[in-house]
Amino acid sequence: MKLTFFMTICLIASTICSAQKYSSKTGTIDFEASVPSFEEVKAVNENVSAILNTDNGEFASLALVKGFRFKVALMEEHFNENYIESSQFPKAIFKGKLEDFNFSEVSENDAEYMLKGTMTIHGVTEPFETSVKIKKVNGVIELQTEFELKPEKFNIKIPKIVSNKIANEVFVRAIYSLSN
Amino acid sequence: MKKKIVFLIVMLVLVAGTYTGYKYLYKDHRDITKEVAVMETTAAGLQEQFQNNAADALLNKTLTVTGVVTQIESRSITIEDKVHCSFESAVTGVAVGDQVNLKGRCIGYDDLFEIVKLDQSTLIYTE
Repeated sequence: MKLTFFMTICLIASTICSAQKYSSKTGTIDFEASVPSFEEVKAVNENVSAILNTDNGEFASLALVKGFRFKVALMEEHFNENYIESSQFPKAIFKGKLEDFNFSEVSENDAEYMLKGTMTIHGVTEPFETSVKIKKVNGVIELQTEFELKPEKFNIKIPKIVSNKIANEVFVRAIYSLSN
Repeated sequence: MKKKIVFLIVMLVLVAGTYTGYKYLYKDHRDITKEVAVMETTAAGLQEQFQNNAADALLNKTLTVTGVVTQIESRSITIEDKVHCSFESAVTGVAVGDQVNLKGRCIGYDDLFEIVKLDQSTLIYTE
């Protein structure tokens, strides 16, 4: 039983390794949920991992939630403890595929692709799609995207008392420089 | 005279209250460089602890890690392909193959690379 499990893992690992992969451990995701005239609600994570399989367009990204840094220390504390509950749910993960991706077509000019898959945040997995811009400069694939997320979809409850200070839709931006 | 004293006390309480309130709302971020590490470990030991799901208590804690540098990026270094440590500023004075000891805040385990991540790292020594 253990052996078969181990062999399957090896098999999966070897197929992953043989595929052409571009990756980064230092992608950047920032999000903003500010409301005008209130304190800025904004955070950045500069240690986001991502892997793109250029053979088939499969893309995965993992952000460690505790890596999101806010300007205001108390806001960071509340974000971790009360909203995203990062001790219980330390990871935010996207897994999916770029539609009609053909690596040979990627050039130095931005091209748009649809990225479809699932997003897991706060322990809740939801179908997700967004448009991404991809280009290749000096052997590095630059992938960036912008989208909006609703906290309530991921079972993140914003208390009434602060709900007027936090936007209903969180604006998210992700930028990766993937190299092989 | 009495009125003056009462007025002074009220003022003092108000100022102190505003000050503590402000200090609470806008308290400083943790300074990882000044914190004492809760654990001293090796890169291999830390990765193993996460792979055995025995590391929840280490999340958000300050750790020191020793090991051999296997990769250097502009603001991060990777130790033995097991621990990725990011810095607040550019990494200098380290080369691949160096034995290092560094301090950082553990932010979790990255399944994609099978690597533990630290942020706000600082080098303690290099050799």
